[in-house]
Amino acid sequence: MKSALINKSDIRLLLKEASREWNIYAPLEVQGGDVNFCCLPKENIKEALNRVTLDDKWIPVPPKDLFFPQLESLFEIKKNKIEETVEYSKKLLFGIKACDYQGILFSDEFFKRTFQDNYYLSRTKDRLVIIKSCLTPPRQNACFCTSAKTGPFLDKDFDIQLVDIGEAYLVEIGSKRGEDFILKYKRFFKLCSNSEVDKALTVKEKAVDSIELKIDFSRAVELMKGKEPPEEIYKKIAQRCIHCGGCIYVCPTCTCFNVFDDKENEAMIRYRNWDTCVFEGFTREASGFNPRETKWLRASRRYEHKLWYDYKTTGKSGCVGCGRCLTSCPVELGMSKFIQEITA
Amino acid sequence: MAKVLTTCIYCGCGCGLYLISDRMKLIGAYPSQNHPVSKGCLCVKGWNSYEFVNNLQRLKKPLIKKNGKLQTVTWDKAIDRVARKFKEINKKHGPDALGFLSSAKTTNEENYLAMKLARAVFKTNNVDHCARLCHASTVAGLTAAFGSGAMTNSIEEFENAEVILVTGSDTTEQHPLIGSRIINAIDKGTTLIVIDPRKIELAKHAAIYAQPRFGADVAWINGMMNVIISEGLDAKEYIRERTEGYEELKELVKDYSLEYVEKIAGIPKDKLIDAARIYARAKKAMIVYTMGITQHTTGVDNVKSLANLAMLTGHVGFESTGVNPLRGQNNVQGACDVGALPDVYSGYQPVTNASIRKKFESAWGVKNLPDKAGLTVTEIIKSAGEGKIRGLYIIGENPVLSDPDSNQVRACLEKIEFLVVQDIFLSETAEYADVVLPAASYAEKDGTFTNTERRVQRIRKVINPPGQARADWQIICEVAERCGYKGMNYSRPSEIMDEIASVTPMYAGISYDRLEPFGLQWPCSTKEHPGTKFLHKDRFSKGKGTFSPRPYIPPNELPDEEYNFILSTGRTYWHWHTGTMTRRTSTLDREVPTAYVEIHPNDAQGLGIKKDDMLRVSSRRGRIELKARITEKSQEGSVFIPFHFKEAAANVLTNPAIDPIAKIPEYKVCAVKIEKL
Ligand code: SF4
Ligand code: SF4
Repeated sequence: MKSALINKSDIRLLLKEASREWNIYAPLEVQGGDVNFCCLPKENIKEALNRVTLDDKWIPVPPKDLFFPQLESLFEIKKNKIEETVEYSKKLLFGIKACDYQGILFSDEFFKRTFQDNYYLSRTKDRLVIIKSCLTPPRQNACFCTSAKTGPFLDKDFDIQLVDIGEAYLVEIGSKRGEDFILKYKRFFKLCSNSEVDKALTVKEKAVDSIELKIDFSRAVELMKGKEPPEEIYKKIAQRCIHCGGCIYVCPTCTCFNVFDDKENEAMIRYRNWDTCVFEGFTREASGFNPRETKWLRASRRYEHKLWYDYKTTGKSGCVGCGRCLTSCPVELGMSKFIQEITA
Repeated sequence: MAKVLTTCIYCGCGCGLYLISDRMKLIGAYPSQNHPVSKGCLCVKGWNSYEFVNNLQRLKKPLIKKNGKLQTVTWDKAIDRVARKFKEINKKHGPDALGFLSSAKTTNEENYLAMKLARAVFKTNNVDHCARLCHASTVAGLTAAFGSGAMTNSIEEFENAEVILVTGSDTTEQHPLIGSRIINAIDKGTTLIVIDPRKIELAKHAAIYAQPRFGADVAWINGMMNVIISEGLDAKEYIRERTEGYEELKELVKDYSLEYVEKIAGIPKDKLIDAARIYARAKKAMIVYTMGITQHTTGVDNVKSLANLAMLTGHVGFESTGVNPLRGQNNVQGACDVGALPDVYSGYQPVTNASIRKKFESAWGVKNLPDKAGLTVTEIIKSAGEGKIRGLYIIGENPVLSDPDSNQVRACLEKIEFLVVQDIFLSETAEYADVVLPAASYAEKDGTFTNTERRVQRIRKVINPPGQARADWQIICEVAERCGYKGMNYSRPSEIMDEIASVTPMYAGISYDRLEPFGLQWPCSTKEHPGTKFLHKDRFSKGKGTFSPRPYIPPNELPDEEYNFILSTGRTYWHWHTGTMTRRTSTLDREVPTAYVEIHPNDAQGLGIKKDDMLRVSSRRGRIELKARITEKSQEGSVFIPFHFKEAAANVLTNPAIDPIAKIPEYKVCAVKIEKL
């Protein structure tokens, strides 16, 4: 793999320069201290650049919304004319975590597997991703990427990956697109030596070791493939769950949506928004019959889907080990706890 | 794409969330990780709190009724009409022919201005809001007992309580992020006691669950106190040092033997003894209650009895120890705090006190502020029907669906000479209006809400209001100005807060710059004061806590041969009040698209009712038709109907009988009959 080097102090300069060509999305500290993926503004970029956060901070909602927003208009009818809303722009995702990138790759596949979803795919058309791998888990006891085999850094399938080696980042180049980017902005990058590559190796080993939560993913999949986990486990989950939908809204690979219309007089907008399988209305049929009528049947659907159905259809798990379902759950349920419970 | 930190519009938990906008639309809502209530989580309503804002049916232009039809007019005309009519009625019939209903959905600043408009501009104390219909009993009862009618603890304290007693609150449904904390607390060792006529979700998590009959609260609370006193579990030193009236209490509760209580309330003796012992022996015990306690003709008695129980065991005034009425609306605490009530100015300062009046007269630059308490929501509507209230200004409330005995409310609104409705949608109430003023939603203005734990926190403007809609505070100021009043000139809401702080001791230390990032909890008396996590530390706000022994009085209307079921009303998790926002939110509306009535399986079987059968439910006041839902959540002999749905409005059935002190209606008990269609 080709590598280069960039000084930490040059990152902001690079972003500023690149923002002329790209819409840049990066983790930004926002009001209230949360870190969220935001688009850097074209004007007054300096202030925003100061808020770019590349430490291993927790990001409550994954950047899936850049391609699949919580609510989007698909088309509008105005004066008997239909206007479709398709977004396209050159996007640079800067400082995304390895697990989140895996989530995006998974969703990309989904949105073109059967039906080509133009609303999603158009947004991904010109996309470059620069991963910043975590040195320590943003949330100990929530993150489990090493168990899910999605991080904290990637070996392949990326454009560019940054490894923090102190004063500078080692820049790993994983694709032609990544290489073109480095060439275009070469004045910010330096050649790197073997010692820096070695240093990055040590950093990566340490990063792997720093993740304490270990769960037996492959065993869980085996179990789900065989006989179903006992009903009691699901019933216990269902009794706690307050059906907020949070675990699914924040899941990097959950892409279910609902379609609805907003109408008034002559005007109409067709929207789609995030949906979740914990809602009763999600599986209710037109007749009123619901194959997943009870809360526990709906809870089981989620786990079966992530841990078994996704494997069957894609060979990959639908869980990327980001730990967000746990941290966004008001009653402290989550994939890691479920797996711990069934493999105990 | 912008992400703006603000506060959830729905319940009193007051979660912090980011509204996501793209150009002029809201496209999402994410939880705030650092916010002390949300902590990275939201309930389903918070996650979906953005959608209704975009709705195409939003009111965009002022309307005036002409020939029975509402027609678009300019702002200038609309404001002019309001000012002229109100001045005219004032002149002809006196200030008390006017009434103002403010709103627990709008900001503190706007509620303050609504009461200032009523009092300073029109010289009437006829100003109230929907707190009357939810926690008026709390304000009256807890003020009498402790000196303050608010939640004594903070939300984060639940997790460290040894015992939590939940009564008359379906916490996981109505205050989801408090309900979830209670569930999490149990994992860490908290013992949960649930005493509720409905078998709510939390009952499944409780160490003790007792199911009293409807309206028997005073009886079982007195019974519990009887056990505590007779077993010597009362907190003698605390009672001696910090309270008064103990002997009278002791005298009264003697009569509430276990047998007597079992007969009235239907709680088995052993359960009551266990509950009493566990609660009394705990070092840190929190009581949680809501409408199941307050919405009775004995609402104030119920609240006072809970206060008695807490003082008897020394369970007020410490961390994770107290009495916690959970406020329903996002800003019902604040609307009360800033004086949208007929008897007090901001900070619960009584209108009957001459020196307080003087203070407000000089702050507002007016003379002769009215010295008698005004009318309450329920009385204003009734007086409108009697022709006494001739001009009514309703801000963001929908009494046609939210007040008891809807048919009567409609009849009263018909009679009003001049009705102004200021709202974000054309509500059922707005259909009766002479002038409709389009208001901005919570995402389209700046301001503050005060959540149930007394946290005054910011909301922020994310996008512009649709069409010509304006923020409520701007509209109120314009009306005041058009009426010739010069004292309502603000360029931004922070200036209104500065004025509130200057006349309201418990808000005195609050200003916008101090509210970053997550607000301050009142009392906050100076600019250096850090805010108050729990109340009544070392001494009660009023000095000594007062025991008010109350005897058991049955509900106003109980089942008889003809109307043989008890009806209790309330909300579902998925909808908010009269549904103007949640029924315009696809996810929430899909989940519960229409009205339903909950009935116990045994009753259903007896009447041959199956799931989704259409039933007619009638009371002495009206009847509605809706689908059956069969669930053990309902007690045998009772049914439950949520009040959100105009097509089968529960309040067509409810009894307008009110608590004599708090004037709160008895939404929780009335008699109905059920027929299968
Ligand atoms: S986050 Fe928790 S409470 Fe919410 S739907 Fe998921 S499991 Fe249920
Ligand atoms: S718990 Fe209340 S404040 Fe929090 S998101 Fe839900 S409705 Fe909003």
